Amino acid sequence: MYPVVYPVVYPVVYNDAVVKKFVIATMFWGVVAFLVGVYIAAELAWPSLNLGLSFTNFGRLRQVHTSAAIFAFGGSALLGTSMYIVQRTCRARLFGGEALANFVFWGYQFFIVMAALSYVMGFSQGKEYAEPEWHIDLWLTIVWVCYLLIFLGTILKRTEPHIYVANWFLLAFIVTIAVLHIVNNAAIPISIYAADSYSAYSGVQDALVQWWYGHNAVGFFLTAGFLGMMYYFIPKAAGRPVYSYRLSIVHFWTLVFMYIWAGPHHLHWTALPDWTQTLGMAFSIMLWMPSWGGMINGIMTLSGAWDKLRTDPGLRFSVTAVGFYGMATFEGPVMSVREVNALSHYTDWGIGHVHSGALGWVAFITFGAMYYLVPVLWGRKALYSVRLASWHYWIATMGIVLYIVSMWVAGIMEGLMWRAYDKFGFLQYSFVESVVAVHPFMVIRLLGGVLFLIGALIAVYNMIRTVTSPTTALPRRGLVASPVLPALGVAGA
Amino acid sequence: MESNVGDFIVGLMMAVFGLIGLFLVAGAADAEMYVFGLALSGFAVCFNFGLLKSHYDRHDEARAAARVRSHV
Repeated sequence: MYPVVYPVVYPVVYNDAVVKKFVIATMFWGVVAFLVGVYIAAELAWPSLNLGLSFTNFGRLRQVHTSAAIFAFGGSALLGTSMYIVQRTCRARLFGGEALANFVFWGYQFFIVMAALSYVMGFSQGKEYAEPEWHIDLWLTIVWVCYLLIFLGTILKRTEPHIYVANWFLLAFIVTIAVLHIVNNAAIPISIYAADSYSAYSGVQDALVQWWYGHNAVGFFLTAGFLGMMYYFIPKAAGRPVYSYRLSIVHFWTLVFMYIWAGPHHLHWTALPDWTQTLGMAFSIMLWMPSWGGMINGIMTLSGAWDKLRTDPGLRFSVTAVGFYGMATFEGPVMSVREVNALSHYTDWGIGHVHSGALGWVAFITFGAMYYLVPVLWGRKALYSVRLASWHYWIATMGIVLYIVSMWVAGIMEGLMWRAYDKFGFLQYSFVESVVAVHPFMVIRLLGGVLFLIGALIAVYNMIRTVTSPTTALPRRGLVASPVLPALGVAGA
Repeated sequence: MESNVGDFIVGLMMAVFGLIGLFLVAGAADAEMYVFGLALSGFAVCFNFGLLKSHYDRHDEARAAARVRSHV
């Protein structure tokens, strides 16, 4: 009989300072993104709200909204949570020291501000989700390489033998986004001192590269990265292991293999060769399998802990997000079918689809993670108000429902009006008639956006009070009560 | 030690970026490049001041801790 020897585990002092900064940035940029979204939604309902000024024009502010939502809000959430997750699951402090982590934080914020400023000033490459000009692209490349260095370095110096599945998703997100960003933004500047440049590609090749990038920005930035978040925070909040670890590995490999081919479905009925369009369509339909496998894995992780949905609004956000993920990844392949796309493309159905993913999946899984992280990072015993978080949940859910339903109706109506012929073979409706017809739905969409913004403001108030209110402070006596423990990674690790 | 080496490398990198920003401002052919160059050099200066501050904060913390230990 040999004595059991347990290894001595020293607490690792994690770099949570940078994670805190990203949490604050996430909530700040979330409010900015939703606010600009509400304003441009109002412009679409009442165009005179652009005030006749160039920098409040929809054409410029639309990019501010999309970049603020995807890169500022979503990006800050991804960078922050990935730095939290990789430290805990590798039981190692961030590689590269504090200065490098701070450079990634401030450098990324600098990128966001510079990009927004350039859009407002009227500078854009004209590539969707890749609007910043060449010099801002170069800056982001430098910041991103430093981020990769930190993440990879932390994995390499890990003291845990296993690399947890969340890190696989996060690493795929970081590496693939680097490749997509560099290839799609390859351009020749007209001068080293001028912001304008010419794309390295032309014609349909340019369009193909752009949508290879565009769809994989969805696939790897807005899906793989946030799946990494899902695979860490849902099991932590539910207090249950991942439903099937094997399924999570199958989910990972099938997702990363299939997503990269799906981009051409954005170019149906264009000059792109037919076979390429069909290839994109086929891979999009195949994506149902990994997407739904991941959704089932996320939801079934709650087996035996469903009761927590009643008491933990953060977990409710996360699980609802997985539901929206399933819905959006069902709708996407349907819209990628060439015949469906003939109706849906260029209509507001696309806007509704994007927002069911952006609000329902990306924002909700982020809110779930933020509600989990704020008390843990600031060493508080709980959220300031579970009731306020519940209000946030229901108001935001109502906002999403109003948004996506109005856009579905508007989009299908637009598609049908644009293709309607009269008995003489002429188009039955002029374009402006379809614009007039969708006006009520533009107003309903605006209302949905306002509700979502109100929900986010409630969350910000709740989180500020969580950090500052004496009611959430941990008691001063005893080891468990020590406020130092969360920072050391002992509590909430 | 890791912090000092990291601070030095990142600080040097930021100084180079600050200089590049100034060159961009000097030769800017449009408003965008002018604003970007100016912002880049300003960002570099602020970041390096932050590095200096955190270095001396750590230094002060270590001295205070040593003083407490010597009194015990």
